[in-house]
Amino acid sequence: MINIWRLTKLQLLSSFGLNKALHTKEVKERRKALLLSTGILAGVLMIAAASFGYSFMMALAFEQMGRMDLLLAIMMAVTSLVGFFTTVYKASGVLFSYRDYDLVMSLPIKTTHVVASRILQLYVLNMFFTVMVMLPAGVVYAIKVNPGALFYLFFLITLLCIQLLPIIAATIIGASVSWIASRFKASRMISLVLTFAVMIALMVGSFGMNGNGQALADMGTGLADMIFKLYPLAAIYVDAVCSYRVGSLLLFIVLSVLSFMIFATVLGTKYKAIHTGLTTSHASSKYIMKPLEASSPFRALYKKELRRYFSSSIYVLNTSMGMILLLVMSVALLFVSPGKLGELIEIPQLSHYLSTVAPIIVSLFVTLSCTTSSAISLEGNHLWILKSSPVSKQSILLSKVAVNLTITLPIVVVSDVLLMISLHMGWIESLLLLVIPSIYACYSAMLGIIINLKLPKLEWTSEVAVVKQSAAVLASMFIGIISLLIPLGISLLLAHVNGKLILSGVGMLMIAVCIAMFRYMQTKGERLVQKL
Amino acid sequence: MLTITHFTKSYKGGKKAVNDLNLVVGRGDIYGFIGHNGAGKTTTIRAVVGVLDFEEGDIEIDGVSIKKDPVACKAKTAYIPDNPDLYDHLTGIQYLNFIADLFSVSKADRERLIKKYSDAFQITANLGDMISSYSHGMKQKLAIISALIHKPKLLVLDEPFVGLDPKAAHMLKTIMVELCSNGSAIFFSTHVLDVAEKLCNKIAIIKGGQLIAHGRTEEVKGKNSLEDVFLELIDND
Repeated sequence: MINIWRLTKLQLLSSFGLNKALHTKEVKERRKALLLSTGILAGVLMIAAASFGYSFMMALAFEQMGRMDLLLAIMMAVTSLVGFFTTVYKASGVLFSYRDYDLVMSLPIKTTHVVASRILQLYVLNMFFTVMVMLPAGVVYAIKVNPGALFYLFFLITLLCIQLLPIIAATIIGASVSWIASRFKASRMISLVLTFAVMIALMVGSFGMNGNGQALADMGTGLADMIFKLYPLAAIYVDAVCSYRVGSLLLFIVLSVLSFMIFATVLGTKYKAIHTGLTTSHASSKYIMKPLEASSPFRALYKKELRRYFSSSIYVLNTSMGMILLLVMSVALLFVSPGKLGELIEIPQLSHYLSTVAPIIVSLFVTLSCTTSSAISLEGNHLWILKSSPVSKQSILLSKVAVNLTITLPIVVVSDVLLMISLHMGWIESLLLLVIPSIYACYSAMLGIIINLKLPKLEWTSEVAVVKQSAAVLASMFIGIISLLIPLGISLLLAHVNGKLILSGVGMLMIAVCIAMFRYMQTKGERLVQKL
Repeated sequence: MLTITHFTKSYKGGKKAVNDLNLVVGRGDIYGFIGHNGAGKTTTIRAVVGVLDFEEGDIEIDGVSIKKDPVACKAKTAYIPDNPDLYDHLTGIQYLNFIADLFSVSKADRERLIKKYSDAFQITANLGDMISSYSHGMKQKLAIISALIHKPKLLVLDEPFVGLDPKAAHMLKTIMVELCSNGSAIFFSTHVLDVAEKLCNKIAIIKGGQLIAHGRTEEVKGKNSLEDVFLELIDND
């Protein structure tokens, strides 16, 4: 068991640049780590405060109904569902794609323990979200109900177990996808396509569930029934924590821990075979020289970057999920009118808001699809190739920006056209819907590059550590979202002012920011790349 | 072809990896760069090819400072690192074509030279396979071919013989001699002193970041073997 902890600790130390921050002697690096930690802490506090506020508001409604247990039930179910959804697409990457596989597997450690350590890495990452949601909810529950001492004990014990089953369920899907893909020659592409198919099926499935909107409106017992039917473990959880039933507590713990142990053992038996299938490249060794196509250096860099992008399923899944969501939602809106949608989610003037804030919402999806914030870090040990080549660093950086725009702009255009049809937009609104997200696409791509140059992570053993856990990715996502929340807030606060005017102002401002960032890349890019 | 003047590189914490290094590699030279582990060989080589930033001193390639015009310097230089980490997601031929594009090699030249060198290193049949399927030696061969297809004036190699089979090592030595007879220059580090002694017309020995001997091979080693001279110089503090 100690080996599971040792391996997990090793993986966690390399996450978020933790080890580097702990051991660096350079003042500049320390200052950077301190600044980043402060930023993360501020973000955590903001999320915790928002989570507390949200729980408190919900508690007011549940208090009137005399069903405070529903607060914990809903929060537990939400945490589990979000944990499940966010784990499905990263499970395969965390389990199978890491460079020190040979080193780890050659150590005198059971394969089951290696698998367990990989699942625990997912667990620790998801625990962050669980604590952010459950702890404020627990505090609100304690304030309102004033429960006995057993509540606190049971609450904390179950807090550790909430994520286990969703992670196992998601990992079973992720591992199954990998297992199927490993049997084909083009295993990576198959894995990517299958994961996308599963995610879209889950999304469509969840839309179907939301269709049962009346149950939501009924509240009370109807809502409780629905949650417990959707996620039976929530009923056991509520029984254990709110009614202090030891039997339910034990059942909850045993179900969670046992499923973890069984899964680790079962996957342990197939682990090497799946890994070999996924990582073995098919070599035909029958190449005969053919005429070659010559390209300009920029075009060559662009093609190389595009191939790099599609070679990594975790990179593609993490950065294109926003675009897939946008496309699915745009298509869905063709079949559900904004008015009907407004009735369903009880926002009467939804269609009015939608046409005003649609460009900002589309831009949010664009910002979530930033490929550049990890593009430099992903060069890793290969950086010497670009650094020793006779091409300007600006071309290298712009080729990465161009790939990001290739991923975002076509989907933005298609989705925007669908939205124009479904939202019956006028020509100025349509124009804004096309222009604003396009500006944000440029903004987010250049912002990602600049932040990645400032916060590079070139030493890594797993792409997951770069694509999901690196400081640059977190920082650019945070700044990207803030850059959208401000205009969104202004649009909503100044509802009496012409929305098109506000959006035009935002657009002009963002164009100026983009020009400034482009100039920064042109003037400082060479120096920043050379310093890497 | 290569002039290193007062090159000094300090790492974080102020420790000098290389201190006031001066060296000239002329056209036609095969210049061996030897020293124990951590002596400063790779640091010097990485600075020469423009991969490593440095503050003190200057490095000129064909009369152009790498600090002032790095792109022009790199266009004349080819570099093969000690551990060729190549793009695993590309096939061998895609990688070679990518490098040819970056160095603006004409279509005719790239087709001819890729065929010439990949045949010489017996890797042509594997060029359609993903680099991820290559062995260390095959990656090394691919890195060497990618360095040769743009006809560099200066070839810089860090431990080039590690991982090569005897036939490929012999082929590389033949190509190095051929390149130099055509007016190019070669600067390479090695721990294989026999190879350095036989192949190089000039030798530099580095210890603790400082050059302790350099010049024509015969002058450096005198009547002794290069191994004896090296061990004596390294052991003498």
